[in-house]
Amino acid sequence: MLQILLNGIVSGLLVALPAVALSLTYGVLKFPNFAIGSMITFGAYIALFFNVDIGVPLFAAAGLAAVGLAAVALLIDRLVYRPLRGADHVTLLVASIGVYFVLENVVRFLFGSDIRGYDVTVARPHRWMGLRVNNEQILIFVVALLAMVIVWFILMRTPFGRAMRAVSDNPDLADVRGISRNKVIALVWVISAALSSTAGVLIGMDGIIDPLMGWNYVLPLFAAVILGGIGNPLGAVLGALIIGIVEEMSTLVLPTTYRQAVSFVIIALVLLLRPHGLLGKPRISR
Amino acid sequence: MIGYLTAILVVVLISALVALALNIQWGQAGMVNFGIFGFFAATSYVAALSALAGYPLLISLVLAILTGVVLSALVALVSARLREDYFAIATLAFAEAVRLFLLNETWLTGGANGLPGIPRPLSAYASGQSYELLFFVLALVLAAICFVFAQALTKSPFGRVLRALREDDLVAATLGKDVLSFRIWAFAAGGAILGVAGYLHSSYFGYIDPTQFGAFVTAYAFMAVIAGGRGSNTGLLFGAVSVMVLLEGTRFLKDLMPFLDAGQAASLRLILIGVGLILLLIYKPQGFFREHRLRVNKGDTK
Repeated sequence: MLQILLNGIVSGLLVALPAVALSLTYGVLKFPNFAIGSMITFGAYIALFFNVDIGVPLFAAAGLAAVGLAAVALLIDRLVYRPLRGADHVTLLVASIGVYFVLENVVRFLFGSDIRGYDVTVARPHRWMGLRVNNEQILIFVVALLAMVIVWFILMRTPFGRAMRAVSDNPDLADVRGISRNKVIALVWVISAALSSTAGVLIGMDGIIDPLMGWNYVLPLFAAVILGGIGNPLGAVLGALIIGIVEEMSTLVLPTTYRQAVSFVIIALVLLLRPHGLLGKPRISR
Repeated sequence: MIGYLTAILVVVLISALVALALNIQWGQAGMVNFGIFGFFAATSYVAALSALAGYPLLISLVLAILTGVVLSALVALVSARLREDYFAIATLAFAEAVRLFLLNETWLTGGANGLPGIPRPLSAYASGQSYELLFFVLALVLAAICFVFAQALTKSPFGRVLRALREDDLVAATLGKDVLSFRIWAFAAGGAILGVAGYLHSSYFGYIDPTQFGAFVTAYAFMAVIAGGRGSNTGLLFGAVSVMVLLEGTRFLKDLMPFLDAGQAASLRLILIGVGLILLLIYKPQGFFREHRLRVNKGDTK
């Protein structure tokens, strides 16, 4: 039982990183970024390129991947989302599906569709009070918590974070107060790229790397964000942890192949019973 | 040559039907169905299974249509009150759930191996190239019926209410329209057309597996609807045909660039789809045709 809880928390933390990214971009840009899955994949492959093809240690390769993906995200914003600023959110939604196609298939084009892995040695799992813990799980735990503390610090304790929250609450008012929307948006893309690529590398270390690895996380991600209240980063973390734990527990009663269906059920239930999520405020929109 | 031509035309007709369904659901009623590939997959599998069980054309077709209608109505019943972006997520989640079911219930769906040997309808009446032609005529007739149905729906008072809902559901509700039931019916009407599309898909290819129904189906359909001008059924025909010509045209990329392997050529095509979709949204978001509006001719107002 404790083992299941532990596994659940770790896989929840893995979902939490991109879920925070998704919820930040939603807060500022006001559309759910369906390309988030392919951003995870892209980040994982940039790290793969540096790690396997060039021979950089994985730790450094993960840093390079974060920088690389941030550059890609800024480029995409410049080419795709900036011309569409002010368009209704359905247009942005459909555009993000287009971005998803481009990113995932650039990966296929450059790296092929085979399953790959990082150049790391696999260690035996540790035993600790009857629990089985492997090195990847400890790493995920530490890195994810660290990343979330950093994001929390940026959001709550820096002028950038204040500007970000202002734009997310009321873009017009923020604009009047002289906050540059484009700068805030750029920062949000950099943060969400760093979070997604970190998640991509961790997912790749724990499991496999293939072009669909990010897409498989899209549903749990959206489930986490909706459960926590869309646009609320703290809620996204909470939602992700709940999804992770429920998914692990579901394997007790369901065949493991149906793990992902948990996300579907949670999305359906939340939308039916509490569409604004656990921490979100009910919003009266138009 | 005739075989190749009819093959392309049948594929164009099937994807035009999928886009036509989206045009009712999203174009008219404003319901962003990102999970359209899940409904398409479900109707295709029902059509395939009933054909494999030995049911004739008409019964499999009706079963596929019923599947489309019932599933769409159920999904709409649960989620039609949601805002557009939530609705998109909910339908996508549904489609992924369908995919999981198809992949894992191997006893019924063959899992990842799919269902081979689906009997082709009317095969007693022709063979070889003339059969290809016969199937094309069947597809054409079914597509024409769907098109007339969609056009009638668009021009009817029902279609007018849908467009009113899309623009502002609060106003429509204030005028006494039952928003939820209109949305459910609109979604179900799209589902019926997806049933026809699913039937044609499984019976034409004779083999289906879960990889044929991915998010790219959603992307094609949105491209066709946007290119054709949201809400316009005639524009949609243009949109669907031009998108498919583009897609089929990019098959020849491999001949132009022989240094690419098959996988790279396939991914290049999908990259082009993504780029095309984005370019359309940026430069031609209103599409190339206008949707149907009531026209007041000179002299009508006297």
